[in-house]
Amino acid sequence: MIRLTGACKRYRNGGSDIEILRGVSVEIGKGEFVAIMGPSGSGKSTLMNVLGCLDTLDGGTYELQGLRVDRMDSRELAHLRNRRFGFVFQLFNLIPRLDAMRNVELPMIYGCVPPAERRQRAAAALERVGLGERHHHAPSQLSGGQQQRVAIARAVANDPDIIIADEPTGSLDSASSDEIMRLFADLHSQGKTILMVTHENDVAVHAQRVIRLRDGRIGEAA
Amino acid sequence: MNAALTHRHRWRLWMDVGLQAWYSLGDRRFRTLLSVLGIAIGVAAVTLIDVVTHGGRQVVFAELQTFGLRSVWISRDRKLVDPLKAQRTGTGIDNTDYESLRQSSCCVAIARMSPLVLGPATMSHIARAGRGFSQVQIEGVDEAYVAINNDRIVRGRAFTAADVDRARPVVIIGAKVRDDLFGPAVDPIGRELRLDNRGFEVIGVLASKDRSLLTSIGSGQDANGRLLMPYTRLQAMQGTNQIDVLQGEVREGISAKLAAQSVADFLARHHREAYSYRVDTMEEYVQTANNILQGVAVIGIVAASVSLFVAGLGILNIMSTAVLERTREIGVRKALGGSERDIMLQFLLEAGFISLFGGVAGLVLGGLACVAIARVTHFPLDPAMLFNGLALLVAIGVGLVSGLYPAYRASTLKPVEALRYE
Repeated sequence: MIRLTGACKRYRNGGSDIEILRGVSVEIGKGEFVAIMGPSGSGKSTLMNVLGCLDTLDGGTYELQGLRVDRMDSRELAHLRNRRFGFVFQLFNLIPRLDAMRNVELPMIYGCVPPAERRQRAAAALERVGLGERHHHAPSQLSGGQQQRVAIARAVANDPDIIIADEPTGSLDSASSDEIMRLFADLHSQGKTILMVTHENDVAVHAQRVIRLRDGRIGEAA
Repeated sequence: MNAALTHRHRWRLWMDVGLQAWYSLGDRRFRTLLSVLGIAIGVAAVTLIDVVTHGGRQVVFAELQTFGLRSVWISRDRKLVDPLKAQRTGTGIDNTDYESLRQSSCCVAIARMSPLVLGPATMSHIARAGRGFSQVQIEGVDEAYVAINNDRIVRGRAFTAADVDRARPVVIIGAKVRDDLFGPAVDPIGRELRLDNRGFEVIGVLASKDRSLLTSIGSGQDANGRLLMPYTRLQAMQGTNQIDVLQGEVREGISAKLAAQSVADFLARHHREAYSYRVDTMEEYVQTANNILQGVAVIGIVAASVSLFVAGLGILNIMSTAVLERTREIGVRKALGGSERDIMLQFLLEAGFISLFGGVAGLVLGGLACVAIARVTHFPLDPAMLFNGLALLVAIGVGLVSGLYPAYRASTLKPVEALRYE
């Protein structure tokens, strides 16, 4: 489903260019659960952003089910992120002034889902992550684990194929981490493709495949 | 792919994005309130200036009206350098001129005409009745005068043709003369007053006229001190047949200047060019007043616009700050599928809301100020004038223009950089 070939990404730092990705080629099939690991600065977050259409390539090609993502303009990329991807971040990134319900509704707003259907789907998504009775809590009234569960509900609300998670348990205690990982396992069993950046081995064991990055190149596959 | 969106979808997106803008404003109430206040003061200033200039115009025109807006005056031009003409005596207009003018068809553009004979400086201008006395302004006129000058007789009657033909010793007095001589309690009609040791019968009283503004700036006499008599009577007292001024009322839709000039030309021909005549028209005075008032209005509007401009800068500031503070949020919204257009729309709507509320608040503020000023100064201000919609449009325009740059910056942020922003 995802085919990345010879992906290059450079950043300008002071006077010199830093190559973050040096010809990365990856193929990921539908329904796979892939962990991306590597030391900091290895380019794993950049790879994740490129795969999630949050960042663009300087070289190489990116095909998503035959569509040339690297040739799309910003509007098409926004549409793609909206329909095909769900994002879960390390710092949850809920919008503070919106309650749980409205946070979950957001991707459906940009997807032009009618209000009644939107609310129904948001309620169902919150139900699934075990927050059925916390629709109108602001993020600040929720614990870290609860916030991340809202974020997962938001990520799946628009029914995307691919969930992109960037260190989703990085800010959580181990009890909450376990709950979150169970949710990802559920999503995987429902057929979602999951790409997860992590540096914790006990998180990576949930994945079917681990892609290791070192200095912008793919290391050994486990 | 967006082409697949129907119109209904698009409207819903507007509504939803508008709602997002609304929540964001609610999140920083105090700063939003300050920006709203800025716009409100700007709009209030602009509208207030507008209403005040309108009110001022009404005052000035109401006073100009007391002369008759279509009045023209024809008199001998005394500012001449031609020595031959300058040394001639007399007013250049006499009863024969007036008679021939009336019979001639030269001046059909003039609807009505009256001679004006002014009480000469050699004559006493103190009218007496019993123990009362009053300084009066003596004018000899005919039966058309009252209508030409928009005067109204509140008691008694106007002059008739017979009063003028027979030079009857009858007078019509202004409101102040009546008060001075008879007091408010006594009916002056049929009573006698004495002027220059002669007796006159009071046959009418003129309605009071307000020229306080014009008098205060030194033009126009107090209309309420007038004492009118048939011009034939005033001429008889002085033993002349001279007329100082001809006052006419021009028919509607005709150039006052041309109509008056035709009378002046007639007089010049009649005297074989022995005199030159000047014409004065109310039209010109109205024009002058108009120009002055417009100048004042422009200055006022420019001054008020500065405050609106500053308010616009306020919005620019608050929106730029908001974009900075919410960089991360913008990144999240983009990650969730918000397009550049959606983000732009949200920030523009935030600016638009601020200016809309500011505009409405400004109109209310302006209205209150208007009522207060009207009450204190008795200036005829009409708060209804505020609601011409223009001020509101301008305010919203200012808001949108100010919001444009921050909104553009927000929309073009790269999602990955925005998400990384601390």
